[in-house]
Amino acid sequence: MEFSIPKESLDFKESVYRFGVRDLAPVSQQPEYDEREEFIVENWKKMADFGLLGLPYPEEYGGSGASVLTTTLAGEALGYAGIDAGIMLSWGAHMILCGVPIWQMGTEAQKKKYLPKLAAGEWIGGLGLTEPNAGSDAAGIQTTAVKKGDRYILNGAKMFITNGPTGKVFVVAAVTDKSKKAFGISAFIVEKGMKGFSVGKKLSKLGVRTSPTSELIFEDCEVPEENMLGEPDLGFVNVIKLTLEWERSCLVAPAIGGLELGLKGAIEYAKQRKQFGRPIIKFQAIRHKIADLKMNLEAVRQIVYKVAWLKDRDIPAMMEASAAKLFVSEIMEKMSSEVLQIFGGYGFIKEYLVERGYRDSRLASIGGGTSEIQRGIIARSIINF
Amino acid sequence: MDFELTEDQKKQKESFAGLCAKEIAPRAEFTDKEAVFPEENIRLLGKVGFLGMGFPEEYGGSKGDPVIRAVLGEELAKACASTYLSAGASSGLFGIPVLKFGTQTQKKKYLPGVLSGEKMGALAITEPQAGSDMLGMKTGAQKSGNGWLINGSKTLITNGPVADYYVVAAYTDKEKKRDGISLFIVEKGTKGFSSGKPFDKLGVRGSPTSDLFFDGCEVPGENLLGEVNKGFLQLARTLSHGRIGMAVYSLGIAQACLEESISYAQERTAFGKKLAHFQDVHFKIADMKMYIDVGRELIYKAAWMLDQDDSQSVLFASIAKLFMSEHTTKIASDAVQIFGGYGFIKGYKVERLYRDSKLGEIGEGTSEIQRTIITKLVEDQY
Repeated sequence: MEFSIPKESLDFKESVYRFGVRDLAPVSQQPEYDEREEFIVENWKKMADFGLLGLPYPEEYGGSGASVLTTTLAGEALGYAGIDAGIMLSWGAHMILCGVPIWQMGTEAQKKKYLPKLAAGEWIGGLGLTEPNAGSDAAGIQTTAVKKGDRYILNGAKMFITNGPTGKVFVVAAVTDKSKKAFGISAFIVEKGMKGFSVGKKLSKLGVRTSPTSELIFEDCEVPEENMLGEPDLGFVNVIKLTLEWERSCLVAPAIGGLELGLKGAIEYAKQRKQFGRPIIKFQAIRHKIADLKMNLEAVRQIVYKVAWLKDRDIPAMMEASAAKLFVSEIMEKMSSEVLQIFGGYGFIKEYLVERGYRDSRLASIGGGTSEIQRGIIARSIINF
Repeated sequence: MDFELTEDQKKQKESFAGLCAKEIAPRAEFTDKEAVFPEENIRLLGKVGFLGMGFPEEYGGSKGDPVIRAVLGEELAKACASTYLSAGASSGLFGIPVLKFGTQTQKKKYLPGVLSGEKMGALAITEPQAGSDMLGMKTGAQKSGNGWLINGSKTLITNGPVADYYVVAAYTDKEKKRDGISLFIVEKGTKGFSSGKPFDKLGVRGSPTSDLFFDGCEVPGENLLGEVNKGFLQLARTLSHGRIGMAVYSLGIAQACLEESISYAQERTAFGKKLAHFQDVHFKIADMKMYIDVGRELIYKAAWMLDQDDSQSVLFASIAKLFMSEHTTKIASDAVQIFGGYGFIKGYKVERLYRDSKLGEIGEGTSEIQRTIITKLVEDQY
């Protein structure tokens, strides 16, 4: 065993952190974006310039060839720099959920066409899987794709799609052979502007409000056959297999940084806030909350790094990834509540980042497979039933 | 980075797990029920080299480091928490301070017996009025000729009734508080020393616990361990071993709860289905698995840091211990819940595990003390 992080990864993490604090946070932390539910274009452009939008892709497609661990550390650094969780979510949906399937399953032509644009931030990407009637039961989707000449005709709708309103390209799952259930669903790369494809209005949300979410609507949408991603009928299963482990490590990474930022903020606040004639950090109830924050921060770190490490070695980590995602998301919710409690009334006020952090944390146990789905995966991997 | 055990570590784990399952686990129920100290287990652990892991060969030790101790310790705690606790108190809590601070003569005299399992050791700090607040202890040692006279009493001492040797903390200069404590090695049979009757306990009933009494106890000068008035600092340097050891205690119990729960859920039928079919049951099991896996990673990391002499290893030992022990009491409670009425009946393993689990939150520094330490170490890092 050896738990030290390679120096070059740590150096990169540090440089991302400095970049985040200097170039992103001042804009990212303005409450107006959250209030107006506005995507922070300025942050996005700077992230693209820094090379963050295509980190793990090979250099020939405009990426940096970063390992999963390095990508995870970059996410953690941005979270710790106080970058808005909405931007981080859009980052994950774009780079991981849309880009990774294209990179891993796409033809050379598809990779050449889309990855450089995604990495450069020229186009924003997303993944269209969930439907109004198919959330956790992902294989129950109803959107269909029927071959007609040299195109596929898509009909149906996708729901809760991150980057829906801003995205230009989406990986979309659609049923091509209903009789084969999960193994009869294909994946397609659909671009905005394709005939019959439209986007619903932006959904107003509890948290991660700077990450735009909407419905995707397909009405006899015509997709060229060369836009099928991966094998016919197997696209869905392969996209799921690919993205889940990624999203359950890299995508939760900003939460680690967010948790550390919460710990730091809580300590600083508790040192300067005085009640009953002394700083509240002198009170045991506060001190022990701080201990729990630190304990859970290290727990979250260790388990997410492990998933990243396994993924970098191509060791199957479905169970570990689910356990990590479940643990991180539920801890985030509890800990953001504890941080808010330390801030008291001020924690409840919009001006303070903790209020936003509290709302933002609620998504983690829903998105990317609910906690209930994760528990099912873990249970099935260790129990016969 | 490398999160995996080496092939050699995996082999050791497998073979030690086999030994524990065959020789130790079958006696665990009797050990608990009759509250009998499992002497033969300790000797077996000495014979196979478990007790001496990480100690130099010249004192009867064998190769090992904190990581492999944690790996194998989990198997032992899983098989019999009482055996694990007494073994740890002997070779760990007694052995490590002697190894670190003892003279060559002391090491040669005390370690081989303890590491072979022929002799038992113990560490005596806690007193009736001084548990978490160690500096509140009253036992004192006065210089008397070439030796020392110790007066006072200790309580809740693991291995108290059965130990041959004790490391005892006593004030040599009470005014100086933490800079006035010294450590002494006291042998059973020393004039003025006696141990009380074993306490009747909730759990770990096979690991005997008692009071120790020092009534003008005459300790020879050469039995001072380390330097005069440096006892507190010396203990502080060994606490991480004990804390990681206690985290491993909890880990082994949690893993046993998980395995019991899985097999019961797969065989017990209710409403025409296996218990495991019910979401409430298999979600509980999923949570056990998740917390165990996270806790194990924290323990391995803390053990690795201790081995590396990392400056943050004290912090991580507390984190691992706090995390694992609190989750284990919940896991044990859930295991009893899955077993339903049977879980409440003596003879079902989870009933014992449930009782044994609670010590994890108390021994080697309560959860409250761990939180105090963690905050103290982290509040100035930002």
